[in-house]
Amino acid sequence: MTASRPREARIPLAQAPPPGAVRIVEVGMRRVAVFCVDGRFHALADRCPHRGAPLCSRGQVVTGIEVRDGELATGPANALVRCPWHKWDFEIATGRCAVDARLRVRRYAVEVDDDQLVVSLSTPR
Amino acid sequence: MLVDSDVHVGYETLLDLCDYLDAPTRELVEHSGTNGLGMPTYPWYHPTGWLRRDTYDVETTAVGAQLPGQDLDRIREKLLDAYDVTYAILTPDEAAAFAVLPNAQLAARLCSGYNNWLLERYLEEEPRARGLLVVTPQHPEAAAEEIRRLGHRDEFVGVFLPGGARVPYGSPVHDPLWRACAELGLPVAVHTHFEGVGIAGPVTAAGYPDHYVEYHTLCGAGMYGHFVSILCHGVFERYPGTRVIMMEGGLVPFMGLLWRLDTNWRACRSEIPYCRRPPSEYVWEHVRFTTQPLEEPADDRLLLPAIEGLRPWDTLCYASDYPHWDFDEPAQTLRRLPASWRDAVSHANAMSFYRLPTPVAA
Repeated sequence: MTASRPREARIPLAQAPPPGAVRIVEVGMRRVAVFCVDGRFHALADRCPHRGAPLCSRGQVVTGIEVRDGELATGPANALVRCPWHKWDFEIATGRCAVDARLRVRRYAVEVDDDQLVVSLSTPR
Repeated sequence: MLVDSDVHVGYETLLDLCDYLDAPTRELVEHSGTNGLGMPTYPWYHPTGWLRRDTYDVETTAVGAQLPGQDLDRIREKLLDAYDVTYAILTPDEAAAFAVLPNAQLAARLCSGYNNWLLERYLEEEPRARGLLVVTPQHPEAAAEEIRRLGHRDEFVGVFLPGGARVPYGSPVHDPLWRACAELGLPVAVHTHFEGVGIAGPVTAAGYPDHYVEYHTLCGAGMYGHFVSILCHGVFERYPGTRVIMMEGGLVPFMGLLWRLDTNWRACRSEIPYCRRPPSEYVWEHVRFTTQPLEEPADDRLLLPAIEGLRPWDTLCYASDYPHWDFDEPAQTLRRLPASWRDAVSHANAMSFYRLPTPVAA
């Protein structure tokens, strides 16, 4: 009889990633990346759906550049993760690829439980 | 119905424009050089002739003359009547060189003279003819002034820019020109011409070609630069009604460019935030292409798979390039395309692009 793989991992809230950073946790056999955007935590698979690159562990958290009312502006702070290989951007909050609507990074549930951050392999609400 | 989107007309010599020029410009045209003002021109000579030999009078054309003019009667006989052309879009020959003339003020005055000449000699005389305004991209404010001077006339259906240029056309230095076109609802035609001539940049970065055949194979390179520049600078975002037609640059190269540009946009879009969507998406809405010279693979079955990604049923417009040596006859061109594309390519796409009125039956 083999022990079932863990479905969640806990890290102290004090070690949770600040905005602009990433924290990689192992959940079962999977590498899950935790981010903080605008005070909310999000978890994504560490795998780019385009060509399989280590999207989050080797990528960069960036702020988008956009045009608003005809002027250059920055988008929501630290809201994108940029793939290290082909530099495609993905929205951390949704997993949606910003340059190809057909692609989405797998998302995982993450929530605060007292002084711990709980990352689980279940689908986020 | 047939719309021919590229029919070249020209004067015999610049002196023909004198009646249409302001007095100081006329003075320069008459007395510059040894026997009048000359334009910068190609350093290559077509080894077997620039023009179809049946489109000019071989006996009376002066020795050394390069681009004998095409008067209206000849165009009627050889093209409009011969092929039952509904509309012909008249494009310049030598007058395209005004855009690569170093003296931008002089170039602007020559443009005005040419446009006056074109209007009086061709457009007001022939209801099947429509013109493109020749303007000065090297002097965008003057170009805008010329567009506003004549662009409201129904006889003019667009603005002509040659492939040879000092600065790619998407650059913000050209905004006055784009703004004027947007105000008047006029499209821009970018047509291969005078690459590597006058103030234009080189034909390619490889260095100067030695032969005409090299030039003519590579001449679309300037157009590709403008095409990519226009897309990357977000001209279609900044001037949403803008339409552009790429003339005589071939078709297959644009397909490869778009694939590569879309891929590069995904990684580099933060550099060009005005280009908000994959560049190809703007092309389907705003850009059209002309057929001539329709590529001729040894196995003609290879043509359609190579160009269908350009959505020719929406984007492709027939052009003959009359009277040039590489003229594409309409029936032969259209026969090479699927029957389901032919109405669109022969006339519907161009009618819509140039906003041409449906002709009233005689």
